[in-house]
Amino acid sequence: MTATDGEPMIRLDRLHKQFPGQQRAAVRELTLDIPEGEIVILVGPSGCGKTTTLEMINRLTEPTSGRIFLQGEDVTHVKADDLRRRMGYVIQQIGLFPHQTIAQNIATVPRMLRWDKRRTAERVEELLDLVGLEPDEYRDRYPKQMSGGQRQRVGVARALAADPPVLLMDEPFGAVDPINRDRLQNEFLRLQQKIRKTIVFVTHDIDEALKMGDRICILREGSEIAQYDRPQHILSDPAGPFVEGFLGSGIVLKRLNLARVRDVELCHDWPALAIDTGASEVHRAMLDADKGHALLLDDQRRPQRWVGARDLRDGSLEQAGTPVAAIMFDDITLADALQEMLTATLGVAVIVDRGGAYVGTLDLETINTAIRAMRQEAQERDRQEARAGLSEAAAVS
Amino acid sequence: MSSALDLVAPPGEELEAEVGAIAGRQAYRPPARSRLQLVARYAAMPLFVGALFGLTYLWVQSQQIGEIEQRVLNGPAIRRAAVQHLTISLLSTLLVLATAIPAGIALTRPWARRITPFALAIANIGQGVPAIGTFVVVYLVFLRDGRTASVVGMAIYCFLPVLRGTMVGLEQVDRDLIRAGRGMGMSKGMILRRIELPMSVPILLTGVRTALVLNVSTAVLAGFIAGGGFGAILIQGFGLRRQPTIITGSVLAGGFALLADWVGRIAEDLLRPKGL
Repeated sequence: MTATDGEPMIRLDRLHKQFPGQQRAAVRELTLDIPEGEIVILVGPSGCGKTTTLEMINRLTEPTSGRIFLQGEDVTHVKADDLRRRMGYVIQQIGLFPHQTIAQNIATVPRMLRWDKRRTAERVEELLDLVGLEPDEYRDRYPKQMSGGQRQRVGVARALAADPPVLLMDEPFGAVDPINRDRLQNEFLRLQQKIRKTIVFVTHDIDEALKMGDRICILREGSEIAQYDRPQHILSDPAGPFVEGFLGSGIVLKRLNLARVRDVELCHDWPALAIDTGASEVHRAMLDADKGHALLLDDQRRPQRWVGARDLRDGSLEQAGTPVAAIMFDDITLADALQEMLTATLGVAVIVDRGGAYVGTLDLETINTAIRAMRQEAQERDRQEARAGLSEAAAVS
Repeated sequence: MSSALDLVAPPGEELEAEVGAIAGRQAYRPPARSRLQLVARYAAMPLFVGALFGLTYLWVQSQQIGEIEQRVLNGPAIRRAAVQHLTISLLSTLLVLATAIPAGIALTRPWARRITPFALAIANIGQGVPAIGTFVVVYLVFLRDGRTASVVGMAIYCFLPVLRGTMVGLEQVDRDLIRAGRGMGMSKGMILRRIELPMSVPILLTGVRTALVLNVSTAVLAGFIAGGGFGAILIQGFGLRRQPTIITGSVLAGGFALLADWVGRIAEDLLRPKGL
């Protein structure tokens, strides 16, 4: 388990759940620290006890034994309804109340906490804005008048209504179609940058876990922790065959999903010249660089065309060669870049900054180097941890 | 590597969200129902019943009405019968609602699961036995007052449909809504008041309408135990062997039952929570 600084937001201490009439415990003596402000994903095969674990945090399922701490306070035996009002809760089916307007739905917890009308109304407005729904447009609608994605956002807004420090989410994007899911996930990650809640998130989808999690807790039967770590580390250093099997094939590709183009050293080998440069000068640059093609940029350094030696015969370069197809911003993932690259001219992706100006190129070699660097980093980390463990042991003795 | 988790929106996402919002806006349209359909829905029944009453009136006018029959078949007597009929029907309906709905709520609570089958069996007796039997038993055994006995007898007879309606209504409420409510810290009472009851209003109202119609129609039987109403006219008609009296009694009883159903439907439309 990764050590965390200071008090964890949630601490589960030997939490155990045995359902009556069942042979095996659903959750066996689980101990887990959930640090403040992070998204912790509980992921595992179905029936591994991840949902039961989540439901024990807000005590929808009462633990058989063990203790739950919230911000250092033992909440194992406080009144369950009060505890739940301190935690947002989002389920897969969203569970918006169909007979209530969006505003009434969002105001569920504030109403229970007896906020006055004005404060509640202001909060509803603020939350609708936060999740990207125009308040005047949506406040008085009923859930059936909204799309699945919009309902999902309202579900999140409702969970955030009383500004709880903790958000529990049980497969929140499970019922949304794949295209919308991707969008909602991105939106949610952006939202989390603003709100910085402590989020416990259950899913059975390892790709969703890798995308959404600051930390991932891979569980096996009985909610036994197979590995609890940051996604990059799980990918570069899976703890044993169960985790490897669960990650599935294509670990390297998954790792590329977590790295962004701006994190890697770009290639500057290709000659890049202004489009109004003379043909002979371009030719010389190509010879100097020992490359068969050159990249032409406009006056704002935006990539325009690829030209080869043969395209340089006639004087003007405005129409020579082929237009640059694979132009990408530097904040896309390596996996997306790879995808584009494979279909691009010369197998090269051209990377630009936010303003569209050329910053470098990306090719297979670059990505290869990046993968090797990641592996080295993981090994380096292992060595450091081993060293830290030793010095800790020394300090204790 | 931590910067790998910084997320910046790929361009075009805002646009997609906008498109989604527009699609949502288009999806929002109140169910269109033409004016004609609305008029037909609400006006057809009273027009029909009115025509029925009018025709019966004209027909009775065309008949030879004897002096004895005149004592039964006159304006004030019919008005008195109508008031009696409606009074016992409404009282009985209120009695059913006041007992069957709470009973239905109680029987769907988790702590009552074990006694639910027995309670339903008992409620079944009320409807299984012929209505007239229930009336007579209540009259003979408990109350010698015809009107009170009618109200109680009818209530027993109608208890089951309302009880069933309440239980079905509460049980069909989506369990996920209840789970969401519990997860947000709603107490069991709040879940009942704010989710379960409002969500089961449509089915509950159907139960209420059924009770109302059953009451208005079975109120005819009150005539047999001196409870008054249109049943009394009918019985007198049989006694006198006079067709106009028999037909007037049955047309009135039938017409009022149809009107009760009509009122029930309007109530269902008006009281149904929006958004369902």
